[in-house]
Amino acid sequence: MAVIMAVIYGIVGVMPIFVGDVRFIMHILIMCLIWAVVAACWDLIMGFAGIFSFGQVAFFVMGAYGSAILASRLHITPILAMVLSGGITAAIGVLVGLPCLRLKGAYIALVTFAVHMILEPFLKGDMGRFLGTGGSRGILTIPPIELFEVTFSSAAPVPFFYLTLLLSILCTVIILIVIKSYWGTAFLALKDSEDFAMSLGVSAFKYKLMVFALTSFLTGMIGGFYGHYVGMLSTRMLGIDLFVTLMIMLVIGGIGQYPGAILGAFITVSLNEMLAPLGTYRPLTLGALVVVLVLLLPDGVIGLIRKVSGDEAEGAGVSRY
Amino acid sequence: MLIELIDVFISGLTNGSVYALMAVGLTLVYGVSKAFNFAYGSFFSMGGYLAWLLLVGLGLMGGYVIIFIIAIPVLLAVGYGVERAIVAPLRKRSDWEVKVMMITLGLALLLDNAYQVGFGARMKSLPTMVEGAMIMGDVVLSYQDMVIFVLSIGGIVCFRWILNNTRIGMAVRAVAQNPAGAQIVGIPKDVIFGATFAISTVMVGVGGILLSQKYFVSPTGGWDILVKSWVITAFGGMGSIRGSLYAAFILGMLEAFVGWIFGMTWVLFAMFGVLLIILAVRPQGLLGKWG
Repeated sequence: MAVIMAVIYGIVGVMPIFVGDVRFIMHILIMCLIWAVVAACWDLIMGFAGIFSFGQVAFFVMGAYGSAILASRLHITPILAMVLSGGITAAIGVLVGLPCLRLKGAYIALVTFAVHMILEPFLKGDMGRFLGTGGSRGILTIPPIELFEVTFSSAAPVPFFYLTLLLSILCTVIILIVIKSYWGTAFLALKDSEDFAMSLGVSAFKYKLMVFALTSFLTGMIGGFYGHYVGMLSTRMLGIDLFVTLMIMLVIGGIGQYPGAILGAFITVSLNEMLAPLGTYRPLTLGALVVVLVLLLPDGVIGLIRKVSGDEAEGAGVSRY
Repeated sequence: MLIELIDVFISGLTNGSVYALMAVGLTLVYGVSKAFNFAYGSFFSMGGYLAWLLLVGLGLMGGYVIIFIIAIPVLLAVGYGVERAIVAPLRKRSDWEVKVMMITLGLALLLDNAYQVGFGARMKSLPTMVEGAMIMGDVVLSYQDMVIFVLSIGGIVCFRWILNNTRIGMAVRAVAQNPAGAQIVGIPKDVIFGATFAISTVMVGVGGILLSQKYFVSPTGGWDILVKSWVITAFGGMGSIRGSLYAAFILGMLEAFVGWIFGMTWVLFAMFGVLLIILAVRPQGLLGKWG
């Protein structure tokens, strides 16, 4: 796993040497790195912990709004605001997780998706406006990230790219460590047979709540980072097409095929930019893409590579260790 | 004040009856095949657009009777086709429940945008099914509401009778209880899965036809319906038709009264709050069992 990740990040890391002065491509690369974290988090909670959380985009947006409000209203340094916002998102994640852990399968999907559905009216409504979300107009002026008196903003893409790379690697390595640790093994055991794992003393409740906290923290933090990067936010991010785009990342990468989600994010973000000329037909194409990809790519690109190279023994279950 | 209260009550009753029809469809599919259909709301819009296409687009004569005669087989075919084409192949795979959710979510995006491309983003309104109203003093009881109520409740009663009294209904219940066991005694499991999906598509599509003439048809109007049907199903208890009925009327009333007192934007919050409370107190719902 670590090797695949090193290769992916290594290739992306040297890209600025060739395309550093093309702002458009640098923007796509930065977005790839940001979404890689979100997709990796989703893979951890869904592919490994087996929790059907459909609230990842909602956590991302919460983190983005939280950090933007903290930085622009309370004048907190953006880096600190990001982390604080991640903390707030983690707290919300735990609150959402608590009722979910008593539930099974699709019920969890319902509760988490309902969080996604009510976030938009909340942000647009009076309560949200009171908190400073700017209602349906959104937040238009979010201060850029400053670190050691250097301002990182979209105006200078190369330094910003390396900051994103660093953050992205940090987050995905944390997820990798979690998957490889006792924690990850506990998830696998719980997923395979919850009763048996619990009889061995693996606490489903504790581990699942912790994964809710960790993934919503990382997702919220990277959401805040995204907000400081683009400089403006609106509730349009909660549209179903962004949600489906994130899902495509996971489908392409393969559910529970860990570094796959990162690879999926890179492929999907690039693909999405290529679909831009389709205009209004783009969401339609995305929808069709999901249907086709879920049917044709059962284990994502990683699974396909394994199949082609005849490495069947490495398939799904075993490779997770 | 009292008159308004009665109006709100009637509105809750009418909407509740349609919600009940749609929630029963959802609980049927989930109860029998454990597949969760995220495109459920899009089939709601499909019913609405089908009626609009036939009535306004093509200007078909014969009113709603013809609409139902044409729309029901079309919805049946769509539901069966969707199940066979995209849900059934996933059943044998790992993590198939998540994959079904994903593929139906993709289908929902596809359908919603297809409506938008085909019919435009503007909301469409349908002609009413029956004109006129029964006037009792100050209370106005429109015939349209009454027809909606009778048709939805009739649909549920009919469905319940089929489920309890016919061989097909027994086969469906057998598959719900134990798919492998049902297959051993010769019940074609896959056909039953397809059929239940088709029936649920008809239920939500008919719900779409019934409700769209009261409100509007819009490309993304189905998402509300998906969440509401699912909240009702969870509230009433999975696999319990009676539970869904009670829950639909309770939530229909809740919606009507919250909408009247606080405004429509609060309805979703209220529904979500009720859902959380119910799941915290009684995770299996009013009359449901886990399984």
